[in-house]
Amino acid sequence: MSSPSQLPLDIARTPRPSLEDFVPGENGALLATLREWARGTESRLLYLWGVPGSGKSHLLQGACTEAGRGGRAALVALPLLLGHGPGVLEGLAGSGFLVVDGLQAIAGRPDWEGALFRLFNATRDRGGSMLFAARGRPAELGLGLPDLVSRLQWAEPWQVRPLDDAGRLQVLRQQATARGLELSEEVGRFLLHRHSRDLRHLSLLLERLDLASLAERRRLTVPFVRSVLAAEGRDRFSGRGC
Amino acid sequence: MSSAIWQLCLARLEEEIPADQFNTWIRPLQAVEEGDEMRLLAPNAFVQEKVRAEYARRIVDSLTALGRPELRLEVAVGSIETPSSAAAPSVVEPESRGKAFSKGSNLNPGYTFASFVEGKSNQLARAASFQVAENPGSAYNPLVIYGGVGLGKTHLMHAIGNLILDRNPSSKVAYLRSEQFVADMVKSLRHNTIDAFKRHYRSLNALLIDDIQFFAGKERSQEEFFHTFNALLENEQQIIMTCDRFPKEVDGIEERLKSRCGWGLTVFIDMPELETRVAILKDKAAQRGVDLPDEVAFFIGKRIRSNIRELEGALSRVMAHAQFTGQAITLDLTREALRDLLALQDRLVTIENIQKVVAEYYKIRVHDLLSARRSRSVARPRQIAMALAKELTSHSLPEIGDAFGGRDHTTVLHACRKIKELRESDNRINEEYRILLRILTS
Repeated sequence: MSSPSQLPLDIARTPRPSLEDFVPGENGALLATLREWARGTESRLLYLWGVPGSGKSHLLQGACTEAGRGGRAALVALPLLLGHGPGVLEGLAGSGFLVVDGLQAIAGRPDWEGALFRLFNATRDRGGSMLFAARGRPAELGLGLPDLVSRLQWAEPWQVRPLDDAGRLQVLRQQATARGLELSEEVGRFLLHRHSRDLRHLSLLLERLDLASLAERRRLTVPFVRSVLAAEGRDRFSGRGC
Repeated sequence: MSSAIWQLCLARLEEEIPADQFNTWIRPLQAVEEGDEMRLLAPNAFVQEKVRAEYARRIVDSLTALGRPELRLEVAVGSIETPSSAAAPSVVEPESRGKAFSKGSNLNPGYTFASFVEGKSNQLARAASFQVAENPGSAYNPLVIYGGVGLGKTHLMHAIGNLILDRNPSSKVAYLRSEQFVADMVKSLRHNTIDAFKRHYRSLNALLIDDIQFFAGKERSQEEFFHTFNALLENEQQIIMTCDRFPKEVDGIEERLKSRCGWGLTVFIDMPELETRVAILKDKAAQRGVDLPDEVAFFIGKRIRSNIRELEGALSRVMAHAQFTGQAITLDLTREALRDLLALQDRLVTIENIQKVVAEYYKIRVHDLLSARRSRSVARPRQIAMALAKELTSHSLPEIGDAFGGRDHTTVLHACRKIKELRESDNRINEEYRILLRILTS
């Protein structure tokens, strides 16, 4: 007879993205550049682009956290702020470090594009540093304001290169460790071979497995993972973030 | 004025609140501790509301846990402005933030005629600007410089202002973007200081307004600008404007204002031709202490043709790469640094496109790749296409299998292993794979 499930405690166990725990893969130069950016020795503009799940948001969170330790920083995750209206960008030019994620979310929204254009100008006038991220290069985003596009093109362009499977496995195991979970290589490979290899999806999957493991008081084994996923009635994910 | 207890509080909150929320709502706050009050200053009302509604309780709990239960929490909109002088920082409420209209010339001293790289595309605009700077109020009034974004209009405008001030330091020169003029006017109306606003702008010797296309649709601002415009012109004071297109073509700008723009001289500025782009790149690099080799400058200049800002962005990227690798800037290093910028791979790399490219390369049909046929002439390209799909996309192995005629993920895994093995043992396969990779990523 199996023991009854436990309700997991509502304790935030979400790993905190930092530059230290970012597995660089082919992004070593970018990581070094972000560290330097966060030190803020000079006003500097950076623009990151890459496919969903390549680690852009992780890098932005990490850079914002690091910059915030030495100065005033603000994160503007555009996809999450759309419900508030462009007024949410007001007054942010005073941040010495401005981090803007998910630029593609405002493409074709003139009020938001105008507000970001003004914020860009005001921040630059005050000598602030800026860091942007989007799924494509500025000219590919479908922005209607050419003035905004050209200002984004001013920034150093960096592509965030997705990790290979070995790198993805390393990230998964690192995230598992941060959650107090043991993720064997076998289970890691099982997940990689049967699911979207987009890291954001894999992280969400790990989060769910973590909760299931706590509730069932079971270790993460292939049969357990298989049973959890079967119980959910689906074994593939969809959904996108910034 | 910045509160030490707030720093401790921040450290606690950072542990408790998810990083994205903390960085969005908490990190931009500034704190002022006065007596038994902890006043948190939010950049705008949205942040203020969010903090009050969702985080105030937690902040109070943190302050209590840190031994300061007596502190009363107040969340307001405002900021601590740190002046450049040794004066103490002061809290600025939003109502007074920018209450006075823009003071000072706002000129960037780095934008001068000496630092402007001249070429065929901007020769006329530069010459007219120089004339105006030498004879403000009388040469061409108003001077309108128009052209696409990032081509040097603002640079020329600042250069005019800087030279006017250089020649006559007592001149009253003001540079501002048209949106700033609008914002200043709105604030003046709200604060009943519109007369002071009018006096200020009408007393200038040179008014430099950037991007007048943003006046479009703002009738009240246009009217005020129109009167300012007339007053300055009557007194033979200089007006310089920039626009992203020929002013008459801007919808939403009153005819009388468009007509006034035509009273002086309207000059066009175009994207610099290759030689000028090369000169600009070398100049920008020299400003940062780097001697950029000609072949590198030509390489970047040939490939980036949209605007000067993008040229600068690319140059910064190359310089960052050289700094990271500790190498000199060479053509190879530049190619490597700009590989991503210059490639179109993101849009090209879909499973469907991989199948199409591979089929074309091996002169078979896409249908063959998806079919059950197992002859070598079809099976090997299929395996290569699967391996490429795994390398270049984020699709799962089952998704890749599905896209190849509903095959199992183990078939994809086998294909990837097989191709990896063959690339190590068979030069021809390795070469074909590399060619396909190059086609798909360049």
